Amino acid sequence: MTTWKETLGTSIPPVLGHEIDSYEEAFEGKREGRIESTVFAEMRLRRGVYGQRYDNGQRYDGEETRALNYPCGDLEKGPDTVWDAPGMMRIKIPWGGMSTAQMEALAEVAEEYSDGILHITTRQDVQLHFVHIEDTPDLMRRLAAVGITTREACGNVVRNVTGCPRSGVCSTETFDVTPYTQAIHEFVLGHPDGQNFGRKFKIALSGCDTQSCGLIRIHDVGGIARTREIDGELKRGFEVYVAGGLGAVPYQAQLFEEFMPEEEILPTIQAIGRVFARLGEKRNRMRARLKFLVKKLGFDEFKRLVLEERAVLDEDHRWTAFLADLHEWDDKPLKPAAPLPEGDYPAEFAAWRQDSVIPQRQEGYAMVTVGLPLGDLTSVQMRGLIELVRKYTGDTCRSTIEQDILLRWVSLSDLYDVYKDLAALGLARAATGTIADATACPGTDTCKLGISASRGLIGELNARLSAKLETLDPAVRNIRVKASGCFNSCGQHHVADIGFWGVSRKIRGQLVPHFQLVLGGQWANNGGSYGLAIVAIPSKNVPEVLDRVLDHYVADRQGDESFHDYVTRIGKKAVREQVKDLTEVPDFEQDSSYYFDWGDYRRYTVADIGKGECAGEVVESTEFDLQASEREVFEAQTLLDSADVSGAADIAYRAMFLAAKALTRTQNPAVGEDSEVIVGEFRTRLYDTELIFDKYAKGKFADYFFRAHDEVQEKVPASADLARTRIEEAQLFVEAAHACFDRMG
Amino acid sequence: MGHSIEELQRIGVKFYLAEGAEPNLSKVIAAFHRWIRNSSVEGLLIDVADYAHVPEGPGALLVAHEGNYALDFAGGRPGVVYYRKHAADGDLAARLRSAARNALQAASLLENDPELEGAIEIGGDELQIFANDRLLAPNSDETEAGFRPVVDTLLDALFPGVACKHCRDQNPGERFNIDIKASQKSDAKTLLARL
Repeated sequence: MTTWKETLGTSIPPVLGHEIDSYEEAFEGKREGRIESTVFAEMRLRRGVYGQRYDNGQRYDGEETRALNYPCGDLEKGPDTVWDAPGMMRIKIPWGGMSTAQMEALAEVAEEYSDGILHITTRQDVQLHFVHIEDTPDLMRRLAAVGITTREACGNVVRNVTGCPRSGVCSTETFDVTPYTQAIHEFVLGHPDGQNFGRKFKIALSGCDTQSCGLIRIHDVGGIARTREIDGELKRGFEVYVAGGLGAVPYQAQLFEEFMPEEEILPTIQAIGRVFARLGEKRNRMRARLKFLVKKLGFDEFKRLVLEERAVLDEDHRWTAFLADLHEWDDKPLKPAAPLPEGDYPAEFAAWRQDSVIPQRQEGYAMVTVGLPLGDLTSVQMRGLIELVRKYTGDTCRSTIEQDILLRWVSLSDLYDVYKDLAALGLARAATGTIADATACPGTDTCKLGISASRGLIGELNARLSAKLETLDPAVRNIRVKASGCFNSCGQHHVADIGFWGVSRKIRGQLVPHFQLVLGGQWANNGGSYGLAIVAIPSKNVPEVLDRVLDHYVADRQGDESFHDYVTRIGKKAVREQVKDLTEVPDFEQDSSYYFDWGDYRRYTVADIGKGECAGEVVESTEFDLQASEREVFEAQTLLDSADVSGAADIAYRAMFLAAKALTRTQNPAVGEDSEVIVGEFRTRLYDTELIFDKYAKGKFADYFFRAHDEVQEKVPASADLARTRIEEAQLFVEAAHACFDRMG
Repeated sequence: MGHSIEELQRIGVKFYLAEGAEPNLSKVIAAFHRWIRNSSVEGLLIDVADYAHVPEGPGALLVAHEGNYALDFAGGRPGVVYYRKHAADGDLAARLRSAARNALQAASLLENDPELEGAIEIGGDELQIFANDRLLAPNSDETEAGFRPVVDTLLDALFPGVACKHCRDQNPGERFNIDIKASQKSDAKTLLARL
């Protein structure tokens, strides 16, 4: 029978073809037991082949957790990951750039191997879901034949290098960062210095510092385009930031160099990679990101080590070869610049134009954002977009970190025709980039770690806000709302104006889906500040909470005050008071809807993310004490907001201690009040027994508590960084305590 | 090509809903969850995906190991679809018949689900058959010539003695698909009984 490998032949680059063949050959090794599950898992992850919810072979069906009896039996594709279970395929799209041939291949593989849906991610990748592992080699070959690789899309490597999708046509950029982003992508892909990390590594470049198209400050390495006059010559370079990251405990990136000449960007990344590979944590993946290494070493020492490493690197021609032609990736207009003809256009066109059309730096042209609900489009829509691109703009478009697609070089004269063609594809949605275009990670829909239905929630919010967008106060129109299904921040809730992350709560003995409300984040300025969770809201009440917070903002804002500034002025405590009554959960008999998550018709559970068998009693007092610990976390935040770092750090520790005490009392009601005894008992009864362990994070959250306890005993002076980190960690520890208590049944 | 088309496994059949049908996807998604709980349709049923937010998308998708069921809106026309992902037994005609049977079984369940209050009804005279495999079945005249006999065999069983019109989508970018319209209508239960 003909195969894709034979059919595509030499159109697959030999290096990629060989790698894919090796990957496919490993299937046999795994089947025959010659390859360990952990080794095979890392191998497939580095090829972008990811796990997906229920791939451990069981699923809660609304009444009970049942086994999914796949035909493969015990064969695994990773630890606790069934071979036959469908998974997710992540496809790297460096700086979001796609040619129409690549779009065509993506549409085809989505249709044939997935469910006909292409999902654009917050890293400009494309993800396909429900993909069977046997289909992945051919899927990769078909993409490789058009110049797309899935290599290092996952795993402990440099992930997709992201870049501002407006580069080259944006009016606020210093220069086009596209060739630099592409050069980084090519340089780091498969580079030996990038193969021995303890954790993933993320890089982004942006053309300016004010917009958020690149979110530089949340990256391991981020660069903002800069120029500087040196010896009478205008030189290009980058303002470089390092060691940022969201995740469970977010860190703002730190300024590494105000101006790094363009020829230094690749060797510096290489040097950082070497230091990270040599000194970064390997065993405890929860502390293995670069941000933890920089914290451990101290920034100055880290920088010294990087510069030392840089000085001894062997010269590599690739560091500067790309500078010889910085226009290789330029896209040129297909149509001449011309104004939109005067005319009586429909109101829908005006609404779409307001949110979706951005003037280019080049007069007579515009960028058009194709808004994708929840980042999804069908293969048929993708093919429609291909036709549209070829008709109006040329051969390329770009995915964005807001999960949309950006068309560039649209002649203004074509705007109405573009609108009509997009409308015919169901892609002329108004509201792009507004509050009604909120984004979410996959959450409980497909993610193994999801706690709450972030996509379900955001789908609901978008529907409600779209319906009333035109009546909303202009001040709220561009507020960014983002949700994650758990604390891991894949939905980037920390840098949203209003963020949510999924948690569960046991209320009167029954599980209820909740979202933490996160305020204080800043989308602008490349993710200028990170928000903090202020209160857990029942999922059902989140839309009302959002309405209420926005209503207060509109009513109370001073002048042109931004939402971020408004929250800073009135304080999180005041916002918490505004929504206090909406934290209440009625009995199941009164309103059962609270006990179901958005878009899920099964009774809410966390059984699909992990199981535990703690024995529990003292239910009422434990619930009470856990709630008290949560209040303390919030109190710590308010103290931090008022610059009382010492008080904030102390109260954050106290929150952890209260939660630990509450859990310890379920195991030993006579534990008493002595803090050392409580900590010791907690270690013995909850930690050593692994009762507090998260299925994936293991004992990480309890380790936060032990470290904070040691710091308090050793009277380590509180700094703003320490207080902030401890608050984040206290929040996570309290959530882990809730989860442990949930598992106690 | 004759040999290749015989190897085709990724086959799908969609029975279009009656004109004017406006299915409530939330209720269909809830029904799919019940199907998983009760093993109501053939296959190892895994999960439900909600694509209600995607225009002309897969709508409500019931993911199974062997193939997927959906109430989808592709082409702007809602219909009940089943498409195979993994290899099935039998020759091509048997595999196509099996896919059609699964789609009809799903349609029949939806038509008779009391929670859906009769909102879902297939037209009973229109269906689409597609090959979800551009290697073995590119969208070409050759594929159509090779596939036509098994399509006719299926149609003879579904609509005995009834004339059927075929219309292949000629867009080379689209997967191979044929829309079929029979000159007589039958309900899902009747069609299912004929397979």
